[in-house]
Formats: sequence, C-alpha cells, structure tokens
Amino acid sequence: MKTILGIKIGGLQQKIFNLVLLVVIAIIGAYIAVNAYQQNKLTRIVQETSVEQQEAIEAISAQTMAAVLETSMSRTTALQAYIANDLFSEVKTDVLTLRTVAEQLFLHIDSVSPHPYFLPDPAKDGTATVQVQTEKGVDPASSRSLGLVANMSEIMLAMFQNSDKLSSCFVATADGCILYVDDRSGAYFDENGDVVNFDVRCRPWYLQAAEEGDIIFTGVELDAFTDIPGLVCAAPVYLDGELVAVVGADIFLTSISDYVRDTASEGGFVCVVSGDGQVLFSPVSEGVFRAEVSEKATDLRNTGSEELAAFISLALRERTPLELINVDGRDYYLAGAPLETLGWTVVSVVEKELTDQPTQAMLAQYDQINEKASAAYRQSTRRIFRASLGVTVFIVLAGLAAALILAVKVVKPLEKMTRRINSLHGDNAVFKVEDDYRTGDEIEILAESFATLTNRAQEYISQITRITAEKERIGTELALATRIQADMLPSIYPAFPDRSEFDIYAAMDPAKEVGGDFYDYFLVDDDHLCMVMADVSGKGVPAALFMMASKIILANNAMMKKSPAQILNDTNEAICSHNREEMFVTVWLGILEISTGRIVCANAGHEYPVIKHPDGQYELYNDPHGFVIGGLAGLKYTDYELQLKPGSRLFLYTDGVPEATDAGKKMFGTGRMLEALNGCASSSPRDILGAVRASVDGFVKEAEQFDDLTMLCLEYRGTAGKAGDA
Amino acid sequence: MKINQSVKDERRLTVALEGRLDSDTAPQLQETLDSALEGVTILELDFEKLEYVSSAGLRLILSTQKRMDAQGGEMKIKHVSQGIKEILDITGFTGILKFE
Repeated sequence: MKTILGIKIGGLQQKIFNLVLLVVIAIIGAYIAVNAYQQNKLTRIVQETSVEQQEAIEAISAQTMAAVLETSMSRTTALQAYIANDLFSEVKTDVLTLRTVAEQLFLHIDSVSPHPYFLPDPAKDGTATVQVQTEKGVDPASSRSLGLVANMSEIMLAMFQNSDKLSSCFVATADGCILYVDDRSGAYFDENGDVVNFDVRCRPWYLQAAEEGDIIFTGVELDAFTDIPGLVCAAPVYLDGELVAVVGADIFLTSISDYVRDTASEGGFVCVVSGDGQVLFSPVSEGVFRAEVSEKATDLRNTGSEELAAFISLALRERTPLELINVDGRDYYLAGAPLETLGWTVVSVVEKELTDQPTQAMLAQYDQINEKASAAYRQSTRRIFRASLGVTVFIVLAGLAAALILAVKVVKPLEKMTRRINSLHGDNAVFKVEDDYRTGDEIEILAESFATLTNRAQEYISQITRITAEKERIGTELALATRIQADMLPSIYPAFPDRSEFDIYAAMDPAKEVGGDFYDYFLVDDDHLCMVMADVSGKGVPAALFMMASKIILANNAMMKKSPAQILNDTNEAICSHNREEMFVTVWLGILEISTGRIVCANAGHEYPVIKHPDGQYELYNDPHGFVIGGLAGLKYTDYELQLKPGSRLFLYTDGVPEATDAGKKMFGTGRMLEALNGCASSSPRDILGAVRASVDGFVKEAEQFDDLTMLCLEYRGTAGKAGDA
Repeated sequence: MKINQSVKDERRLTVALEGRLDSDTAPQLQETLDSALEGVTILELDFEKLEYVSSAGLRLILSTQKRMDAQGGEMKIKHVSQGIKEILDITGFTGILKFE
C-alpha cells in the first residue's frame, strides 16, 4: 500500500477518512439543499405577502377613503346647502316684511304723511344711509309714492344694519323712483359730480317681479358698481290689483363666494350650480367646474357627459350620495344637495387622484418599509449564508480531523497487532493482549481472539507433538512387532536342508505392519510334516494378536499327534472359550506322511488348496469345508485325504491372493492365480511364489495392497531321493 | 458402502447392503445394526448389490447371527450373488446361515 501524508492508500485509515468525508459532504449537501429551498420559499413568501399586503392596503384604503369621503362630503354639502338656504330664506323674510309694510302704507296712502328723503351724499359714503335715485327724466318731487314709501326708511335702515347678508334693501315705485339703503353713497356720482340716473323699471328684478306677481330671486349678476356677484330678491306691491311698487334686497354673495373659495384648500372644493346648470361659485378658474356668470355660461348638463348631466339633474332635486364620475378624462367624487329656495344645488367635488394620494403615499411608505425589510432580510440571509459557510468549513475540517484521529486510533493498534503477529514464531508463538489493544471495541475482541487462537494453536502444537511422539513410539513398537511376528513364522530356507523328500517355501506379506495371515510348517515326527495356512478375520494388531494365539494353539495341538480334524476341533474349543471379540480364523491344516505322500487334511473355512500332479495342471481342490475356527463352539471338523506323488505340488494361499484388487476394483481371482502357477509349472516352490507374487503385482499395479498376501508351496519329491541318499 | 434400512414392522427389519463389506465399512454396519436390532425378531440381510465380503465382514455377519440367536430371533440372507456365495461356501458360513 502506498502511503501519502501518513495515510495508507486503500487502508482502513483512508476508508474511514473517505466515509467521514462522504458523510460530511452528504450532510452539507442536504443542509444546503434544505437551506436553499427554505430561502427560496421564504423569499417567495415575502414577495407574495408584499404584493398581497399592497393590494389589501389599496383596497382597504380605497374603501376607507371612499367611506370617509362620502360621510364627510355628504355632510359638508348638506350643511353648506342648509346654510345657503337659510341665508336666502332670511332675505326672503326680510323682503316679504318690506312688502307687507309697503302694502300697508299704500292702503293708508291718504292718512299717512309723506316722509322726507334725500339724494345720495358723497360725504356719507361708508355709512348706512337711506337715499334716493330716479330714472332719467323723473323728478322725485313729482312722485306721489316716494314720500309715502320714505316712511319705510327707518325700517329699511334697521333691517340693513341688522343683517350682514344684505348689501342693500330698497323700494322702487312704479313711477320710476327708488329709495334704498346702502353704505356706498359715494358710488353714485358721475364725473361731473351729479347723481347718476337709475333705470329702475328696466332692472331685471323689477321686470321679473312684475311679471311673476310674487317674490322672485334674480339670477346672479355682477354688481353694476362693485363687480361683486350678487342677486336680488324682489317682491311686487299691489294696490287694488295695480302694481305700485317693488320692494327688494340685494344680496352680495361674497360670503358664499369666499366660503366656496376657501374649500379649495381642503383637497377638494365646493361649487354652487344654478338651476340652469351653470356654475355660479367655484374656487377653480379652469376646467368644467370653473365659475362663469354670463348668459353663455356652460350648462353642466350639456358637457357631453351623461353621468354628469344625470348627477346635476338629480342634485338639483334632492341630496345625492357620493358618486364617482368621469369628466374630461378625470375621475371626480361628486356629492350634491339642493338649495330649495333658489332651485340651485351645492356640489362637492373631490378629484379622485387626491383621495388616492394617501393610499399612494401609504403604499410608497409601505414599499419603503418593505424595501428596508427586504434589504435587512437579504443582508441577514447573506450573513446567515456566510455563517453557514463558516460552520460548514468548520464541520468539514473538524470532520476530517476527527476522521484522521479516529483512523489513526483504529489503525495504530491494528498495525501493532499485525507486527506482533508477523513476529510470532517458534517458542514465542503466543500472542499477548497488550494495553494498546484495550480499546474496548472490536479491536480488543480481535486481539483477544488472536490470543485465544494462538493459545489454542500452541496447545494443538504440543498435543500434536505428543501424538507424534506417541505415534513414533507405536511405530517403533509396531516395527518390533512386525519382526516378532515374522520371527514367529519359519523363514529360514532351505527349511529342512536335510530332507530331500520335499521342498517347502512360504511367505507372508502383511498389508499393514502386522498381519492376520499366517502359515506354519513343522515336523511332528520324522515322517510327518504339519502344514498350516490361516487367515484371521480383520487386519492389523488385533488380527496379529489373535493370529499369535491361534498359531500357538494349533501348533500345540498338532504336536500332540492328533488328526487334523481333532486339532481343529480342539483349537476351536480353546479359542471359543476366550473369544469375546468374536474374532475367527480360517485354517487349512494338513499333515503330510512324508514316506507315502498321503496328506490328511481338514479345512476350517479356508480357501481351496491347489494341487498339481506330476502330469497335470495346477487345479483347485474342492475339499469339504468346515466352519471358521472361533465362530461357534462345539463344531466337529472332518478329515479328508490327498495323495501326492513325487513331483506333485501343493499350493496354499490366503484370500489376499485371489482378492487382490486393482484400481478398477477388479479382483485378481483364482483363475489368474492358476494361470500364473501353470506358467511356471515345474519351478521350485520359491520361484513359484515369486512368479505368483509378480503376477499379482502386475495385476494390481499402483493400487494399495488391501489384504495380507500369504502363500505356501510344497514340492513333494517322494522317498526315492531319500532312499538314494540313504 | 450404502446401507438401506427398511422396517416392515417393529419386529421385522430388512437391511440392504450395497458395495463392499470389509474392515473399512464393517464398523458402519455394526453401528447401524447395534441401534436397529433391539426387539427385532426377523432380520433380513439383502446381499443383492453386495460386491464383496471380507473376513471382517464375515465376522460381523457371524456376530449378528449370534446376537439374533441370543434374542430369540432369526436372520436370513437374501439374494446372495455367486461371488459372495463362494466366499460363504469357502468359509463354511453357508452351513450356519439361513438363506431365502
């Protein structure tokens, strides 16, 4: 593993490091995503809320404004109309009083003395004065009525002085004189200092009153001398159905005019509209609502705006609610209240723009506040972002540091452990749990496992050493046993060098160190050769032990010169009495009478003997079989006889020969055995055994020898040789 | 070696042997029979697929025969092949065993 900055690339350290890095990045990613989402959402909410609030402000403001305006305007209009109406009804009362007085005077024209009267005196200008003017060519002195009506001088003076609404009051006689009260005496003189004439009976109020026959108000006119707008209230005086005089009062509308002008400062204004739809008083000098006192003045009902026309018509009749009307491309709130006395109407006008101004101002302020808040929010957001960035960097660094420390903490003990384990060898093969491994986690468990493992391994090693020593001991003992067993079997050849009547050769080749097969031959007496071929069940040490016992018992019995069957009977009894392990042995036993070649034999479950007569082949001899020795007690074996001729050969073997097995589990069989024997028919017993062995080996090849391989061959030569020797 | 047991009833056991019965495999059969023979009165050994019996196998057959005799039962050998028959003949087992 490569090492960079003390971290092994691909090692645990790097893996932990990577894991922590990945986790930190994932957390930060999630944090940023959530943050961005919230930020976004918050910004959107702020924006949406701002829009909603603006709309709400606009709506509520507009509603409130309209409501306030309506109440206020309606009230103002009504009040103004009331005041104006009151003014005119007061004047009307005054005029009616004058008429009553005049009527009474005319009724008593004969009994009432004429009252003195005076022409205007410039010296009295500024003082309320009763004075007289006449039409051109009319002599005041010739007037019958003037002296009569002059009796009203005091009343008229009092009336004038008591009213602040009257600019004058007067009595005009039907003969062209006028007696009036005012304070402008100086105004009635021409450039020559003469009193100017006054065309009394041509004045509109005179004509109108005469025509109507009742009290009238004239239209607004500019005063002939002062240019102040005013109007006249006049009433005819009849005597016996004949017009004798017209009484009246001049009203200067200065107060209304001033009032109307003052309203302009309050964001809207009030104007007075006549019954003809003309604007009589208005503080504005331009536009539809400018005042214009003339015959040609515009009728508001003919401006082209049907809304305005309808509103004015209604306002002349009754009080109207607040209405929003568009005139000449501008929106106006209008409210009207009629002046019933005059058939006029007072109209309050507020331009909508003005009412919208507070809303706009509020919105502007709101925007400003909002902008400030947004700026603060943005700033705060930036601050939070910077703080988050700082925290993020800190977390990353802290995480990486923690990962490094953790990695080092985890890996150090592991590395040490690896070094220790690698250095384990020989006697120092036990791993010790050192303090460095006491981490309280898997590392400690691992260390303890290693300790346990090496301890066990150490135990196993010593155990194996013990077992090996034991095995070696057993091996040594077995080798010794092999030699002892081999020594037990006659193996010195020639076996009977002084006997020429026969030649015998035998060999045992155990499959394991010691075997269960055995052969034996010995002379019972000079003429009797006992031959034994036996096979103990099983193999190895148990078989070998059993074999030793069997061999000795058989030999002992044989030496007692019993017949083979009797030998087997007795041997069987002896073995069965001490055979808990139920071992058994197959035995072929024969006793050759050397002098005759006759063999008495008995077979206890052993393979068939093979016999070759001098002129024949090797053949199996199907001898009568008894049961194996050691199997069942009380068995009786049967003797049988074989007759050998000189040159005859007897071949004995154990099942190891026919049952030798090759790698393909095929058995050698008695057929191949006989073939091998016949292949060397006349050889010496030793050579015959060698040939059979070679044939078996050639057959089984590499396969493991499974069973003991034991053979014995007797060549009977007969007594001829002996006779010759003798 | 394969050992196929089949119990017809609790007193009758059939054991079919397959392969070689020798010193390597006899302990296996010994163990099987030790645990299965309790209370069995008729034991049938089926040798149809048995290829070879060594002396160790014969020893086990003998001890089993003795055990069956001791517990008052009966042991029968079935389907003995020619090869096995020869071995039984040679060793004299034919004389002490019952065949079906």
